[in-house]
Amino acid sequence: MQYIRWGFWILFWLLFASFAHYTLPQNDIVRVTGTEVIRKDFSGFSRLFYAQPDAGDSEAVNRDLRLINTTQANGRVMVYRNEDTGWGWPPYFKFDSSNVQAEASEYSSARGQEQWVAVRHYGWRNPFLSIYPNAIGFRVVDGPNANLGLPWFNIIFLTTFFGLVLAIWYRWRRFRAARIDPIIEDVQDGFDAAGDAVSSRGSRFKRWLDTWRAKS
Amino acid sequence: MALIRVAALGFVVLSVIYVLLSFSARAAFRRKLRREWDDERPTQDRDAFVKQGMEDYDASIRPKLFLGVYILPVCVVILMIYLTNFQ
Repeated sequence: MQYIRWGFWILFWLLFASFAHYTLPQNDIVRVTGTEVIRKDFSGFSRLFYAQPDAGDSEAVNRDLRLINTTQANGRVMVYRNEDTGWGWPPYFKFDSSNVQAEASEYSSARGQEQWVAVRHYGWRNPFLSIYPNAIGFRVVDGPNANLGLPWFNIIFLTTFFGLVLAIWYRWRRFRAARIDPIIEDVQDGFDAAGDAVSSRGSRFKRWLDTWRAKS
Repeated sequence: MALIRVAALGFVVLSVIYVLLSFSARAAFRRKLRREWDDERPTQDRDAFVKQGMEDYDASIRPKLFLGVYILPVCVVILMIYLTNFQ
């Protein structure tokens, strides 16, 4: 029972950690190398990793997807998608994906004349699922090792979240100690009393049996 | 439409938070008044003292401050829309 409980909570917090890692904003410093649009046929599972159609359009089985090709300072490439999140999840309220695409074209630079930009994004790149992180916006930075500062949003969000979790947990513990534990103890006392009664009856029966025994 | 769905869902969630907060704050204030009467033993009857205190509390600005539960998230959303799309 203890193992199941631990397993459940470890799994729960692992899921929460990956959810937060997917959803919370991060910054990468990259050089934009180009933009493109591909036709995307959404499959059942990986549909989860895409936003809905642009705010104002309707949902269809497939649609065009804007992509931004980038290269990082270490030479690795990263492809971002560029989709409106609109009023949906995650709540970035991004409506300007066309503008972001125009900015990406504006910042694209050739090798030797690098224009480094910090891409604010959320999501994961996974070639097996064909999913891309969603670029939220660009900020021009000095170089590939520019200091991006502290991730204030994530710090405030996670602190508030865990504060709330602790507050609820503390109240739940207090509630359980005051209201639920006494009931369980009561039931257990009842079982114990019944057990005592049965064993005392047993011994009485045994005493009665003993009366038939030959007295030694 | 997505905006209406977000607004409706937000209204329901925020209403639950608003009700929980304002009820627990009212109960805490009532407890405080009772303790106050126990400590000070004014000439006034205990129930009347608490009733008077609660009426003053309801008339004051403090319970109305909880309406910020509705206003604050709307401001945050407007700020986020500005920062994401117009910066």
